Amino acid sequence: MKLKFGIIVLCLFLVGCSNSKPTISPLTVTPEKRAFTDDLGRTVSVPTEIKRIVSLAPSATEMVYAVGAGDRLVGVTTFCNYPEQALEVAKVGDTMTPNMETIVALKPDVVLVSTASQIENFTKTLEQNGIAVYVMNPTHTADVLKSIKSIGDILGTVASANRVADELERRQAAIRSALGGMPESGPMQFDDGRIRLFVQISREPLFTIGKGSFLSQVVAAAGGISVTADVPTAYPKISKETALSLRPNAIILSDSEDNREPNEVFANSPAVKNGRVLRVNADILSRPGPRLIDAMEQIARFLHPDKFR
Amino acid sequence: MLGAERLPLLSLSPEQASILYDIRLPRVFLAACVGASLAVAGAGLQSLLRNPLAEPYLLGVSNGAALGTLLAFWMFSMFEFARPIMAFAGAGLATIAVYRMAKSRAGMNVERLVLSGVIVTTFLSSVIVMLTTLLDAAKLRSFTFWLLGDLSQATSGGVYLSFGAAIVATVLIASQARALNLMMIGERDAADFGVEVSRVRFIVFGGASLAVGASVAASGSVGYVGLIVPHVIRMIVGSDNRLVVPFSAIAGAIFVVLADTIARTTIAPRELPVGAITALIGAPLFIWLLRKN
Repeated sequence: MKLKFGIIVLCLFLVGCSNSKPTISPLTVTPEKRAFTDDLGRTVSVPTEIKRIVSLAPSATEMVYAVGAGDRLVGVTTFCNYPEQALEVAKVGDTMTPNMETIVALKPDVVLVSTASQIENFTKTLEQNGIAVYVMNPTHTADVLKSIKSIGDILGTVASANRVADELERRQAAIRSALGGMPESGPMQFDDGRIRLFVQISREPLFTIGKGSFLSQVVAAAGGISVTADVPTAYPKISKETALSLRPNAIILSDSEDNREPNEVFANSPAVKNGRVLRVNADILSRPGPRLIDAMEQIARFLHPDKFR
Repeated sequence: MLGAERLPLLSLSPEQASILYDIRLPRVFLAACVGASLAVAGAGLQSLLRNPLAEPYLLGVSNGAALGTLLAFWMFSMFEFARPIMAFAGAGLATIAVYRMAKSRAGMNVERLVLSGVIVTTFLSSVIVMLTTLLDAAKLRSFTFWLLGDLSQATSGGVYLSFGAAIVATVLIASQARALNLMMIGERDAADFGVEVSRVRFIVFGGASLAVGASVAASGSVGYVGLIVPHVIRMIVGSDNRLVVPFSAIAGAIFVVLADTIARTTIAPRELPVGAITALIGAPLFIWLLRKN
């Protein structure tokens, strides 16, 4: 009997908790809103004036700072370590498992999400709490520029966002002109100047970039061609036999403690024999944010030092 | 010998020779050692504990080894030899824990053993999940892949070690085959026939821990081998452990080599985790065996 009573009380308590939340939102004054279409094609209604932002992706955090709205960030992930000010902002968990209660308690006007964070599942919870969720899914450097402009539009910093995007575009154009019209897509032609390279994401087990990764395109825009560009999925585990037989002329390492050196299977590859190995900061390489152009510049200079004198 | 890259039968180029001798053969050999070790451990534990469900994976022995490896991975990553030693220690401790929990004053019954195995397995899994959450993302990726069983990290050192462990474990457990035959009737009856029960137990637990520790350190948790292989062998050669133990070693080696060939080739140049393949084959096979008996 006692147990039954306890369960009933517990149930009432739980119901009471879950009921109390939605009653708040109708009471608040509905602010003026604008509609945006995000990268998933959803129409998102966002308050015109945004004072509180939560970012659930390091790339989104970097974009918000880049367009000059970093002081309005009230929540970021534990992965958000750039720029340095982001370290001071309240943490809402990591990209994969953000804490919904913390986010709701921060009362953000908008939550910025990257599909890389697989957070689409949570958008429902947030939207039920009257919080707008804007999803970005940049799959190419052009998308990064587009995302920066949309963020500027949403956050009301159009001018500075355009300035940042234009500057990044100018730097990309500078790389392009330095490379002198090297093809950026299609199969390798005989001596078209591009360099066959392998991007090593993890040394052991051996992970690389595939068809679905934006890095295949970054590499292509930097005068290289990824030897695994046709492998399905974005970050496949690749057979060591295949990796050995690909004989890349250059290797790019996503720099981390376990990934400082090329895997042993490359010992006899032209890349290792000629010392053509570049370490790129893993954060810069893995985030489709404003610093992706930095990665592109580093790779282009590494592959074609003669063209950047 | 199938693989991701097609190789000619004769006149290999230096590069093709490197693929064959430096990558493919060590991996096939490691698969054989791991398969033999796990199957022998399963055969020994099943007879010793008089329980058809006794298997390194189900009893928590694999998870003990996995936790040991994870700790070595985390704290002593600079020492390559720390992994197999810690894996062996983890496997041994898990075996002792399960055995102590399962043994009551009245002896050991099937339910208690399985229950103890489940408790130890789930407890160790949660510790592993806790630790992987604390590790940073780059290490996490290699570790979670490795947990599912991954033979791609076959280094020559690891292969020799697994080979040594497989041989020693098979010899140790096979040397107790006659005693194990008697113990299958009952520990007390075996003692009446002059079997030193505690000595047999020590040797078989030690051999199984060595086998599981070495194979988990080299390739992660490859499930179902220790369960399915001895059962199939018993259906063919009967329950005499003098036959079951060596034949399990051979059949286990063949099973894992075949499973790894599937893992290496079906979606080449990408790879599947071999543990997923052994489970995919093993689970339905086990259900079929259960229904048949």
